[in-house]
Amino acid sequence: MIMEKIIDIIFSGLSMGAIYALVALGFVLIFKSTGILNFAQGELCMVGAFICYYFATLLNVPYLISILMAIALGAMLGALIDVLIFRRLVGEPIYATIMVTIGLASILVALTGLIWGHDTYSIRSPFIGKTIVAGKMVFAQASLATIVVSIVLFILFIVFFNRSLLGVALKGTAEDSDTAGLMGINVKKMHMLAWTIGALVAGVAGIFLAEQSFVHTGMSHTGIKAMSAAILGGMESLGGAIIGGIIVGVVESFAASYLSGLEMGGFHFGDIKDVAAFAIMILVLMIRPHGIFGKKEVERV
Amino acid sequence: MGSSFKVNYKEDMALFQNLWVKTWLVILILLMIILPFFLNRYQLSILNEMGIATIGALGLNLLIGYTGQISLGHGAFVAIGAYTSGLLTGKLGIPFIISLPLSGLMAALLGLIVGIPSLRLKGLYLALGTLAFGFVIEYILFHWDLTQGDLGMAVKRISLGQFQIKTQKQYFYLIAAFAFLAVLCAKNLVRSKIGRSFIAIRDRDIAAEAMGISLAKYKIMAFGLSSFYAGIAGCLAAHYNRWIVPGSFDISLSIAYIAMIIMGGLGTVLGSVLGAILITGIPHAIVYIVDLLKDTYPALSGFIVDFKLGIFGIIIVGTLLFEPAGLYGIYRRTKVYWKTWPFKY
Repeated sequence: MIMEKIIDIIFSGLSMGAIYALVALGFVLIFKSTGILNFAQGELCMVGAFICYYFATLLNVPYLISILMAIALGAMLGALIDVLIFRRLVGEPIYATIMVTIGLASILVALTGLIWGHDTYSIRSPFIGKTIVAGKMVFAQASLATIVVSIVLFILFIVFFNRSLLGVALKGTAEDSDTAGLMGINVKKMHMLAWTIGALVAGVAGIFLAEQSFVHTGMSHTGIKAMSAAILGGMESLGGAIIGGIIVGVVESFAASYLSGLEMGGFHFGDIKDVAAFAIMILVLMIRPHGIFGKKEVERV
Repeated sequence: MGSSFKVNYKEDMALFQNLWVKTWLVILILLMIILPFFLNRYQLSILNEMGIATIGALGLNLLIGYTGQISLGHGAFVAIGAYTSGLLTGKLGIPFIISLPLSGLMAALLGLIVGIPSLRLKGLYLALGTLAFGFVIEYILFHWDLTQGDLGMAVKRISLGQFQIKTQKQYFYLIAAFAFLAVLCAKNLVRSKIGRSFIAIRDRDIAAEAMGISLAKYKIMAFGLSSFYAGIAGCLAAHYNRWIVPGSFDISLSIAYIAMIIMGGLGTVLGSVLGAILITGIPHAIVYIVDLLKDTYPALSGFIVDFKLGIFGIIIVGTLLFEPAGLYGIYRRTKVYWKTWPFKY
């Protein structure tokens, strides 16, 4: 019984962790290559989910096509954001770029609210409500799909960054944009590519999040939680983001099933799931600010 | 027009630089005294909100604008101030006059604790740490019996002996007095040794330390001071609204405070005031405009939340793209323009 319960917790943790990992991957990618911490990553997720909802549920487009449309439009939105806003902000102080992304987040939420409203919708996906039964265990198909697709995406990304010319150029730009420029890499294009891929993975994460729960404007909250995954893995490391995301998801899942509902001296733990990610973030920042895989920053005077 | 020639250090350090500034100050104070007699309750309530926001924004500007430590958790300190005073006056019956400084000190104490990691964390990581701190505080307020969670908590009226503060006009004088005091303290602080140390740390912390400024002492001091201001603002807000819920001190409040100081101008006292007025005023202006257009476009009022959010975002992005120095930058440019008019330089 206990074994099954633990497997169940780990499974739901993994499916949530895969989403965090995807979002964190976008964070790290954009941060590494452009030096901007994108607080609007969660909002990009939300926009992806809403576009998918629009095509799949409202227009009755086949599910696969609406997913592809959502991903493509989300990626285009990322490129547009870079061209319109962040291309002008390269080298600006941190507070300025953080605030611009926060402002962008409000704009995205407002636009989504204006177009689709602030209600809660459910996406019409072929996975919803279906389960796979293995022995005594029951797995939700949506969660299983999330995990499988995320693993495929992670492998694709690792191959892309290590084997393709474009991926290596992107890595080079992230390492040192000045030198990369001297080597004939178009740095502006690379920044745009980083934003495109970042928005693309956010869109994918948004669609899976919508499958596991609902589509609403509040789902952008996931973005801030994924930030703790990125911090845990080290802001500089793509692999770290994936592992960080999975750890945060699993810890959250354990906290949800073992700690919530407890009471201690007038303090109700309640939905501790929502705060577990931030507790992890504070712990990591206190103990090892550069994360598991990050390098310690060395500053020259 | 006042001259800007200074013969000795005393003149350079003076709080109010010349007769010109002093005259305007007297006019401003007189205006503040007679203003409530011409405004209705709604207009006064906007001014009161602006006054409270000014105090909080000044605190945050001391931290971000002067010391260069980014905090995304200012709302949490405001919450601590509000709840401390609410609990002290409500549960223990302590008079407002004692609970006000205590709520500031309570926030400052937590600010000092949050300030300690700032010795290790820089820039981005500090921003994220304070963000997480804000979420944890909000979570605690939601789930603790003492703070009554999302039911909210009623806060007593401010009373000084037999006299109770009830009307918007009385609140206005009280809040304006505190806002004025806060501006004065901040202005005094930034011209002192402490303020100059803050600025040195902002400009280059390693160089500042090499010059003999204790980073640990001044960074923690900046956090403490900034949270003290936030605590006072929270205490005033709690007693002004007379009802507090954790949801009103969430991340969006912290963002609004950062927006205030960026819009107004980082590292300037005047900028904090201008920013607080602007960011507090914008939602009211939007409501006013939508109200005007209600007859022609009745569907508009359904979108008011989105308008507020979207325009807030557009203003932040626009300011940082086109006028990073904020309102203070515009003010200084106009001033220089008129000073040298008709010449360009």
